[in-house]
Amino acid sequence: MNSNDNRSDNKEYFNYLAREKYFSDHIVNSSRSMISIINRSYVYEKVNSTFCEAQKGVEESIVGKSLSDVWGDETFNKRIKPNIDKCFSGATVSYEASFNIPQAGKRFFEVIFRPFPAESGEITHLLAETFDITDFKLTQKFASDKEEEFRRFETNLPIGFLRCSPEGMIIHANRAFLIIMDCGNETDIHKVNLRNLYTDKSLFDLHLKHLMDNKPKTFGRVPLVTCKGNDITCRISGFMTVDEHETPLFLDFSFEDSSRELMLENRLLQAQKLETIGALAGGIAHDFNNILTTISGYSELLQNDLPDSSPHTGNVARILAAVAKARSLINQMLTFSRQVEQEKVTVNVCDVLKETIGFVRSALPSHIKIKSNIRIKKATVFADPTQLFRVFLNLMTNAMQAMEERAGTISVSVALVKGKIVQKELNKDIVADEYALVTVRDTGKGMDTSLLRRIFEPFFTTREVGRGSGLGLSVVHGIVTEMGGEVMVSSKLNEGSVFYVYLPLSKDFEISHMSPEARRRILFITGNRYESRILTLALESAGYDITQSSDPNHLEKMLSGTKNKPNLVLYMIESEQIRTDDLIEQFSLHDIRIPCILITDSNQMQEEEKLVTSGIVKEHLIKPVSLREILSAIKASI
Amino acid sequence: MAGILIVEDENDLREMLKVSLSRRKYTVLEASNGKDAIVHFKPAVTDLVITDLIMPEEDGLKVIMRLREIKPSIKIIAISGGGKAGPASYLNLAKALGADAVYSKPFSVNEMIKKIGEMLNVEQG
Repeated sequence: MNSNDNRSDNKEYFNYLAREKYFSDHIVNSSRSMISIINRSYVYEKVNSTFCEAQKGVEESIVGKSLSDVWGDETFNKRIKPNIDKCFSGATVSYEASFNIPQAGKRFFEVIFRPFPAESGEITHLLAETFDITDFKLTQKFASDKEEEFRRFETNLPIGFLRCSPEGMIIHANRAFLIIMDCGNETDIHKVNLRNLYTDKSLFDLHLKHLMDNKPKTFGRVPLVTCKGNDITCRISGFMTVDEHETPLFLDFSFEDSSRELMLENRLLQAQKLETIGALAGGIAHDFNNILTTISGYSELLQNDLPDSSPHTGNVARILAAVAKARSLINQMLTFSRQVEQEKVTVNVCDVLKETIGFVRSALPSHIKIKSNIRIKKATVFADPTQLFRVFLNLMTNAMQAMEERAGTISVSVALVKGKIVQKELNKDIVADEYALVTVRDTGKGMDTSLLRRIFEPFFTTREVGRGSGLGLSVVHGIVTEMGGEVMVSSKLNEGSVFYVYLPLSKDFEISHMSPEARRRILFITGNRYESRILTLALESAGYDITQSSDPNHLEKMLSGTKNKPNLVLYMIESEQIRTDDLIEQFSLHDIRIPCILITDSNQMQEEEKLVTSGIVKEHLIKPVSLREILSAIKASI
Repeated sequence: MAGILIVEDENDLREMLKVSLSRRKYTVLEASNGKDAIVHFKPAVTDLVITDLIMPEEDGLKVIMRLREIKPSIKIIAISGGGKAGPASYLNLAKALGADAVYSKPFSVNEMIKKIGEMLNVEQG
């Protein structure tokens, strides 16, 4: 080989190397990764153009600089150096890091350090490759944020969401679904087939069939059974997802609980119905009262004309007694349609309830027990106590009738409930901050839904014709609604019913400003202990001082003392039990000028007539008599 | 004898009252609605008015007010059998407007006649 050849060979080899360097430089510099070679003194020996661009510099300004110059002492010592040292000991190291890049702000990188051994095999340098993964990171974060957002949305949605297999096995359900269907936690639901939650299983099959065309469907209100076995109605929508071969993959369903909506609709319908019947009843009552007046008027004429010895006297009295009965029935009808004027006073619900329980207990057949749970002392409402008595009496009577054929217990309790809770519970505007909730529970035969829907309608009765007017519960409804309260009922067939009466509490003010001494005293003589206790409560609420007695001789005792003489005698007694002569004797014996009011159930008895003509009785009221009438008679007499 | 005007749209009832009162030797005048009662009112021969409250044309409350205006000394009895707001509230209103006595249907005619006797005696006394 001559020197010329040698030179030309060298030149060619040099050109070859130059071309190779050009290529490799080109590859290295056109890479989107930052590539650098670092020596054992942690100094950059070579960097590519991407590195320079990122650092806003040129190769010359970076090469020769230490890593701590470029990235700062802290970053270098804490995060870079440990990895580099690991790499110098032979390992390839990769990690993710974020750096602040001049003018680009915070960027995320994947950093890889590879050992770059010299020909001797000694690791004198390492190759650092740094990929900017900021965009990838941002996309990943966006996706996970979105997923989290959706999960939160799905979890908190009041609508139940469910995904199931084409066979109906539940794959996933959100929290709302678990709550609506009363299904415990999500793991429990995975064993459940949606088909089993349908009341009508064939309806589920039908829904599946409808979804086969891959279009979203809404199925309206569907009757379902919750995991605990309760009936519920949901508005269901769904759609099916299929793969590229049209094979069903899964089904998605949404569930909206429409039970409440249904209940409110029913209740509104019910209220409208009762309102209509009420108006009708009011109209009928008006016409009947006219007719009854004509009947009783002519009967009285007849009675006046008949000599006492006439065999017809008794018959006419019977006509008049029938008129009185009809009048009482019409009064109940009017109570239902809220057309009876009431004398309202502040009264303690607990007192009235206790009186009613006492009254019912005395009439209870041996196979029925009554349990009272009146823990609170006071629940003051603004009401006519006689009407309130009627409400509780009718509810307890109803409970008794529900247990006619079997032994059972009536449980009565009273509690105070905050208005806000009542509003939530009843979905109704509230009229007071607090309510008394009276609960009357029986263990009787219960009622089915169709029965429940109608129980407050007047004349609706499950008893055979002629037994009960069917007005009892409608009267309860009328009185309670008139008070601004609400009566609700829940029932299970063969288990019993519960009636809930919500009564708005009234501000508790002093019953009477007068001292007990200054209050008017009324001696109340009556045979009927319980009915009259209610009247006593009412009169006491109206500010009178009442002494109640079933002993007509009580008058004598009271009069013989000088103190505490009554200002008025209220005499409420069955017509047959009046001992007129005794009474007249007592009054005349003591030269009594105390006014006396007589309340009886008919005005056709001679005894009563005698009392009125003797001048002892100032007012004679005939049952049914309202508290208002009694109070105005008392006011007029004292 | 004293004259009594019965204002009542229910014919049977009006007839019954007429029969009852005529027997007690009262002179009975009749009207089947409030408007007739007011238009044909004869103050000179009418001492007492029994009026229903809910009637076609003018109602009983109007009758009470108008007749009181025409003859302040007239005695008035209002009777009612209920309506939209129940008998009691109408009767209370009648009382407030100057009815001397009120009766809720069905009432005892004997009782009413007794009351009428008292009312007219008081006036004469």
